[in-house]
Amino acid sequence: MPEKGMIKATDLFERVVHWMLAGSCILLFITGLGMMFRELNFIGSFMGGLVGLKYVHNFTGIIFIVSLILATRMWWREAGRFEFPDDLEWIKQAGGYLWHVDHVAEAGKYNAGQKMFFLTVVGCGALMGVTGLIMWFPMGLPMGLVRWMYPLHAFGFVVLFAFFFVHLYLGTIGSPGSLPAMLNGWVTRAWAKTQHPKWLKEMEAAGKLEVYGEENKEAVSH
Amino acid sequence: MMSASEVIKLIDTTRCTACRGCQVACKQWNELPGLRTKNRGSYQNPPDLGWNTWTLIRFQEHVNEKGTFKWLFRKDGCMHCTDAGCVKVCPSGALYHTEYGTVGIKKNLCIGCKECIAACPFEIPRYNSRTDKITKCDLCLTRLQANQQPACVKSCPTGALSIGPKDKMIAAAYDRVKVLGGDANVYGDKFLGGTHVLYVLSEKPEVYDKLPKNPSIPLSVTVWKDWLKPLSWIAGGGVIAGSLLHYILHGPKRPYPEADQGDHAERGE
Repeated sequence: MPEKGMIKATDLFERVVHWMLAGSCILLFITGLGMMFRELNFIGSFMGGLVGLKYVHNFTGIIFIVSLILATRMWWREAGRFEFPDDLEWIKQAGGYLWHVDHVAEAGKYNAGQKMFFLTVVGCGALMGVTGLIMWFPMGLPMGLVRWMYPLHAFGFVVLFAFFFVHLYLGTIGSPGSLPAMLNGWVTRAWAKTQHPKWLKEMEAAGKLEVYGEENKEAVSH
Repeated sequence: MMSASEVIKLIDTTRCTACRGCQVACKQWNELPGLRTKNRGSYQNPPDLGWNTWTLIRFQEHVNEKGTFKWLFRKDGCMHCTDAGCVKVCPSGALYHTEYGTVGIKKNLCIGCKECIAACPFEIPRYNSRTDKITKCDLCLTRLQANQQPACVKSCPTGALSIGPKDKMIAAAYDRVKVLGGDANVYGDKFLGGTHVLYVLSEKPEVYDKLPKNPSIPLSVTVWKDWLKPLSWIAGGGVIAGSLLHYILHGPKRPYPEADQGDHAERGE
């Protein structure tokens, strides 16, 4: 539960869309792996056989596409565009994650690493949606086109699967205090000041910051 | 006739009269319905392979460079490759290599994903939307297992079709080509690890409709199955190992303690 003085980082809609995207993505990973590796065919036995698994995969894909569209619309303004020179500086320092940096470039609502992650998810997610739909309905399309949908789908998987674990690590034990932003939406002021100092300052300056236990009529949501 | 070792079906196109007995025998043995077609001005009927047509005589009018007219007949169907693209991509193991080296199909395992359609250099597997499954020639596997010839071979009245042990059939094909001379050639033993269906062609391969000159497993299948598939778990595993290493060596990024203190000071707590 949030304590007095905590800061609202995300609204309910953001968190619902995030978990729709995450849930569908994980289910797609599991079912996709069940088809990609014959050793993992047994995953289908929980879904009425491999045919059932195929349909779970295909229809979960629809949920994923819808979630991706919502997420892109919702986060594009904050996470889809780089701001120079701060973001470039952050990238040069690798955000202070890989070696010691005395003063990490100040990040806004999303730092450059999060923006790169977001853009990769949008790009590869769109690739997965388009190639997946063509793989689902290939009849009547030119063979030369259909043939390349499979390796492109596999390429998207390679990237998203690797990024998924980066995201999982940095959203939990790799950056303590981050997880609550996607659970109840409340983070500590120290966490916000460390991770997103520019955002904190801007919100406070605009009087839009929502602090637990304090009234704020200016607070905005998506 | 057949023991459990590799077999080859030889199609000698120079002996084929296009009676289409093999087409009928295939439908009869495999209980495949004949569907109504339209007269297109060709004896080639139905016009293409389909879920209900696993073998087909292709009729082709050909005039060579000397101006000689030839009516070419080619029995089209699964080539039963050793390096079979369809077996390589099949996610469920429905397509598999039998004890005869041929490519069999376990209907109950097929999930109708259509991946084999795009992996076959000969465009053989066909999709039946009513059953949501793939169909293709299995070289009458159950007949082979019962020491019988495939239905098409059994029906052939001219000796254009024959089946036997691999080495013997390859030798027979080359003997026949030597007798024929000219452009006659053996098609099937030099690619895809050697196919289990072999042609004796009277013309160069590129003359024939729908017959790739030098077929191979599509590059897309190699990129997908040989490169990206192993890369997926290497990349995933690498990131997990890297994250653990980061946690141990560098440590997580915690909120700065001074941020907390500064905060309290600012807020007068």
